[in-house]
Amino acid sequence: MSIKSAAAVSLAKFFGYLSCKIRKSKGQTLPGFIAKKIDGNILSDLSQQVRGDVFAVMGTNGKTTTNALLYGLLTKEGKKVVINRTGSNMLNGVISAFVLAAGNDGKLDADFACIEADEFASGSILPKMKVNYLIITNITRDQLDRMGEVDIVYDKVLEAVKNFDGTLVINGDDVLTYSLALESGKKFVTYGIDEQVFDEASRSEIRESTFCKRCGSRLKYNFFHYGQLGDYYCEECGIKRPEMDYAAKDIKITEDEIAFTVNGKRIEIRAKANYNIYNSLSVYALLDDAGIMNDEMIKGFAEFDFRNNRENVYHIGESDIQIHLVKNPIGFQQKVALIKKDESEKDVVILINDEYQDGQDVSWLWDVNFEELRNENIKSITATGKRCLDMCLRLKYEEIECAYDFDVENVVRGHIEKKNRNVYLIVNYTGLYSSNDMLERLKKEYEEGEK
Amino acid sequence: MKLNLVHLYPDLLNLYGDRGNIMCIKKRLEWRGIECEVKEVLHGEYVNTDEADLIFLGGGSDREQEIVCEELKKNKKALIDYVENDGAMLAICGGYQLLGNYYQTKDKKIEGLGILDIYTQWEEERLVRNIIVNSDLFETPVVGYENHSGRTYIGSYKPLGKVFFGLGNTGRGDFEGVVYKNIIGTYIHGPLLPKNPQVCDYMLLKALRKKYGEDVELEKLDDEIELMANKCIVDRYSEEKNRVAEAIKRRI
Repeated sequence: MSIKSAAAVSLAKFFGYLSCKIRKSKGQTLPGFIAKKIDGNILSDLSQQVRGDVFAVMGTNGKTTTNALLYGLLTKEGKKVVINRTGSNMLNGVISAFVLAAGNDGKLDADFACIEADEFASGSILPKMKVNYLIITNITRDQLDRMGEVDIVYDKVLEAVKNFDGTLVINGDDVLTYSLALESGKKFVTYGIDEQVFDEASRSEIRESTFCKRCGSRLKYNFFHYGQLGDYYCEECGIKRPEMDYAAKDIKITEDEIAFTVNGKRIEIRAKANYNIYNSLSVYALLDDAGIMNDEMIKGFAEFDFRNNRENVYHIGESDIQIHLVKNPIGFQQKVALIKKDESEKDVVILINDEYQDGQDVSWLWDVNFEELRNENIKSITATGKRCLDMCLRLKYEEIECAYDFDVENVVRGHIEKKNRNVYLIVNYTGLYSSNDMLERLKKEYEEGEK
Repeated sequence: MKLNLVHLYPDLLNLYGDRGNIMCIKKRLEWRGIECEVKEVLHGEYVNTDEADLIFLGGGSDREQEIVCEELKKNKKALIDYVENDGAMLAICGGYQLLGNYYQTKDKKIEGLGILDIYTQWEEERLVRNIIVNSDLFETPVVGYENHSGRTYIGSYKPLGKVFFGLGNTGRGDFEGVVYKNIIGTYIHGPLLPKNPQVCDYMLLKALRKKYGEDVELEKLDDEIELMANKCIVDRYSEEKNRVAEAIKRRI
């Protein structure tokens, strides 16, 4: 620990504290920015101080949940763990996490670190950080205006793992991720789901990689899970879904719980959406391969709350309002499946903004199949946000009635006043924090009103 | 009446919600009681232009575009004849580039169909943003989203329109797209047609009149939500402060 990096840490922490007080912001990136300016090696320096392994999570969907689960299991064991929360997954956010966890003397007291990294920022994060394990959840179509075509994302991630010398933990059901692992020449373990558990509503017609990344010929599939995930093979070059090191079998799905067996161990999770099998499986694979997993820890899966900040439920008046984040077609499709699975009556609000973080290009809404929202259990659908008219128009093409109102608070208040019990609020990125804040505020207002 | 829509290589070219364009063509015909049959030509299949009243060619990644180019070469003559005989065709982004003689990418030259004597040159900076174009073909502006590395030089051909906001064909913010006979080529995604029903109806009318005679007219539809979604973007960039804000955002 040099004097320079100690100074970088303490100054960065101070400004972070100030910025928090002034802007009341939740995301933390400023300390990282300052620390990096003072000491260019700060990330390498701090991550080296972690006593045990540093884990990183990348991929289009499932990063935040996977990382939170990993963190949850480790901290339950009494470990000290560094994590970058609240989606601060670009370089400055990652450095901030380490800086804020360190003492003013620049010394870091941590057993492990769990770091979520944006695919686009991976090239600037990975080479500078000690990483022992890297989970790649999947590579699918994301914000095309920011990320570019899926091939560009693939190349970015491949480039980023070039100098990586740890172990990759990869989703073997995703041909792109698997191709990437093979092409990288790195050590890797695979995980996947052996049974067909995803229903029709989770699938969309739009898929990446119907053509083999290696040889360009058309891939064949025995079955699809969703997106391009499934049991694939290429007749030309012979690439095929591998025999998984960690395969989920004997899957049992009930309304609030999912249980599955992996290598003889039964894992239970309290989650509604089936894709959480992947999130849990990758965490199990990583911890098992790293020699950290034990029987006590397995129980931790059942105690983890999958409804983290991104899937929160607010009880206001007589309404339950659950907020869900969607960022890309595959993610949205999973939420459509989730809404369909809920058989009780409900109202749906969809908030679509087009800020930079959301993706300015809203064309991805046309890659989602909304047909399944034509359902008698859905009492109403209202589009809101800056691009609510685009959402309305999209649903017009499914012949689904959709109202619009640019003001989300107005819409939510309406549902609360009408005592609508079950409200789904689907938001994209910039709508998440503002909606959470709004719901907190409305909740307080109603609680005070009742007194 | 019946319209046969040929959708070229949806398995390769399916970026940026392009399938919304197909849905739009189909629905706007159905809403008027006109039958529409969509024929998807997949990788490896032969294009039968005799059966086509309207051809749609979408956009894909550079990798996929190269595969398409190899495929299209086999059908080059038929497609040129189709266009020269006033066949209707809509080509977007990658599809637009393929209409020309070639697309010079960073490291290779992809040969195009040569239907139009135009060409495309790759440049490092990607042109990515909302785009609004005023075209003398329509009263309503054409709005959408552009996302391309290629600069397309259309020479003396007629452009689709003048750029009101955005960058367009060559990135200079002057003109966007190309119109020749009954073809429109453009970089505009969004997808293009749902928010620009005027463009959809223009293509439909061209296709139907070629097939059923010049006196074909299209019934007016209720486009309230379409036009509001369109206007929402036009209004946003008609305000100077929003144009400036966008420019600043792009610099940082």
